[in-house]
Amino acid sequence: MAKFAEPMARLIDELKKLPGVGSKSAQRMAFHILRSSADDADTLASAIQNLKEKLHLCSICNNITDIDPCTYCANVTRNQRLVCVVEEPTNIAAVEKTRHYNGVYHVLHGALSPLHGVGPEQLRIPSLLKRLENGSIDEIILATNPTLEGEATAVYLTDLIKRPGVKVTRIATGIPAGSDIEYADEVTMLKAIEGRREL
Amino acid sequence: MPKQSEALVLRTYPFHEADLLVTLFTRAEGKVRGVAKSAQKSRKRFGGALEPLTYVTAHWADKEKQELARFDSFEIISSPLAVEVNYPRLLALGYVAEVIDQLLPDREPSDSIFRLALSVVKHLQAGPIWMPLTYFDLWIVRLIGLLPDLSQCAVCGTALNSSRAYFHPLADGLLCANDKRLASSEISAESRMIAAGMFRAPVETFTSLHWPRQRGADLRRFLAQSIERHIEKKLVTASMLDRI
Repeated sequence: MAKFAEPMARLIDELKKLPGVGSKSAQRMAFHILRSSADDADTLASAIQNLKEKLHLCSICNNITDIDPCTYCANVTRNQRLVCVVEEPTNIAAVEKTRHYNGVYHVLHGALSPLHGVGPEQLRIPSLLKRLENGSIDEIILATNPTLEGEATAVYLTDLIKRPGVKVTRIATGIPAGSDIEYADEVTMLKAIEGRREL
Repeated sequence: MPKQSEALVLRTYPFHEADLLVTLFTRAEGKVRGVAKSAQKSRKRFGGALEPLTYVTAHWADKEKQELARFDSFEIISSPLAVEVNYPRLLALGYVAEVIDQLLPDREPSDSIFRLALSVVKHLQAGPIWMPLTYFDLWIVRLIGLLPDLSQCAVCGTALNSSRAYFHPLADGLLCANDKRLASSEISAESRMIAAGMFRAPVETFTSLHWPRQRGADLRRFLAQSIERHIEKKLVTASMLDRI
């Protein structure tokens, strides 16, 4: 005999597919939705549906957006000649938090990752090269993660995009602000020493 | 009981909200899988030590009746991130990690394979990747016990010497011209000489040699096929290496 009625079992199965959600959490969520008002359930369902229907990738930078071009690419007060290359759309929020960056973005949607079968052809590199060919970029900041995969992606991109008139820079890596160098691991310390700056 | 061993990080997968599932190749216990708690969110205990092929001292604990270990901390001994990592090097490191992960059973130590992996990873830090990869392929296939006799035909036993030899994904060893199958590939006498040389000397011996991609390519293909035949699936990184 089934543990739950079919509609409930189906919802639990769907919720279980979400990251970080196991059987128990999925059951709790499903019963919460069941106890909610019909309006709340409809709002949730339509929010999910809208997400899939209205969101797409910006035709310029590949950021996830509901308008094309996205708010960053369409903003005339931003420096359109300065491009920050990031792995994922979520990385944009991290850069924006600084409130010091006024350029635009380019989202690769991943990093080179042989163990996951991700090579250059899976990344959004051709659209970056197209932006470069238009001659509308002065500087590219490579802000891929400071991991093995992110570093290899940055080196790979540098070889592709380096050309006269375009400055290619890499974000700094090293000791996080507010931490203690006593607890820094060898690689972080090495990168911090390598990337030291003159005062 | 807390345990400690030198180890190479093979790969990590996201696990639950903030944890990472880590596969380690330890010197003391072979391949160990376990959970690094909060490793996705906090870098306090693991720092940059969870990158593939980082050589670490690992501290972990095994719980009774639980397959997964609990990793407590890793101290980096050497990291591939210490030098510039380009795409070919990333692929080569990924290949080494994937082959070890696929070929070795859990909790079976092998000091010779551990020393091989360390030596190859060290030589992948600088220079072209093809020599260390050829050396790794040859020795891992031999140490696992998959290497056939390269000097004679697997069907008729004829000595191959400097005559033409072939390999096929479904054949157990090398084949002579008479026994080769349809769609067999040739393996050159030079590549068989390379294999013989690599079995006699450490990897350092070959570092000064010019080693373009084509050198020993047929030998690497034969060895990768032997591995894929054994694990009964394609190596993801092998096909990516073919494309660079």
